[in-house]
Amino acid sequence: MAKLNEEGQWIVMMGFIVSIIIFILAIIVAESALVGKTTSESVLEFPKTDIQDLRSLIFQLKSNDWDDIVKQSYKEDIQVLFFDRKNAIVSYYNDSRILFIHYNNGITSYNEMHEEQY
Amino acid sequence: MGGYGDQDMVNDSAQLYTIEGISAAILMLVTAYLVISSSTIITPQETHITDMQLEQLGHDALLVLNTPKEYGTPSILYQCIRDDPPPHSGFNAAFNAYFTQLLNTRIFSGNDSLHFKVQLYHRDHSSGEIQPPIDFTSDGVGYFRENAVKVTQWVKMGSDASDPDLKDKIILVEALIWRS
Repeated sequence: MAKLNEEGQWIVMMGFIVSIIIFILAIIVAESALVGKTTSESVLEFPKTDIQDLRSLIFQLKSNDWDDIVKQSYKEDIQVLFFDRKNAIVSYYNDSRILFIHYNNGITSYNEMHEEQY
Repeated sequence: MGGYGDQDMVNDSAQLYTIEGISAAILMLVTAYLVISSSTIITPQETHITDMQLEQLGHDALLVLNTPKEYGTPSILYQCIRDDPPPHSGFNAAFNAYFTQLLNTRIFSGNDSLHFKVQLYHRDHSSGEIQPPIDFTSDGVGYFRENAVKVTQWVKMGSDASDPDLKDKIILVEALIWRS
């Protein structure tokens, strides 16, 4: 009966190491798709552009010497359209030079107090 | 030390085999990496990634059109809505051209295949209700339940709007964007 050949053990061990490395690499690659998915999900869920656009609109109104901020028809336009079309409750008002902005869509709530310096 | 026939576990015989093992390992690693990285399976559940990119692109495009070129001048979006006469035709040629160009231009040759439909929402001041949407423009390609995203912009209309229903109102511009 032939004796067990003990040569080439390094090659066998390298084979093991390589297969383990490939396995770990495969796990990392598989994770990357999941990371991209969860990241884009949270980006989609957070109403970044809604809040930016609301701020930009309110500051555009404010630029006209506060007259448009207190105009009730503008405020109702914004509130009704936000509620019906974008599923969010918004509010804004000013206390002399301090402007308050509120936004809430049930998941994300945003409040801002902006003091005009001039 | 060393020499052929030593019984140590580590000796300097069969070095070619070792080199072959290492190079085979590198080969296998590279092959496996290439195979795995070249095939990404996107299932219908994973449209979030493309949705996010489409939403960013669409919002940027609409925001560019809603930004005045100079302080105190109306934006392109404002001008197009202002000049759209009351029986809205559903095809505003000027806005259509700008929006198509911003959405579909690629750096290299060829155009992208993004399509859109833009609607305007406004509130009736006497009843306080939101009116049915005005079809502002679309590129004429039908929507057949492709994966779509919605992007919006707000426009404060002045008293110079050609549609009396839109005068002195805040209106919501909604664009539905999809790739086909």
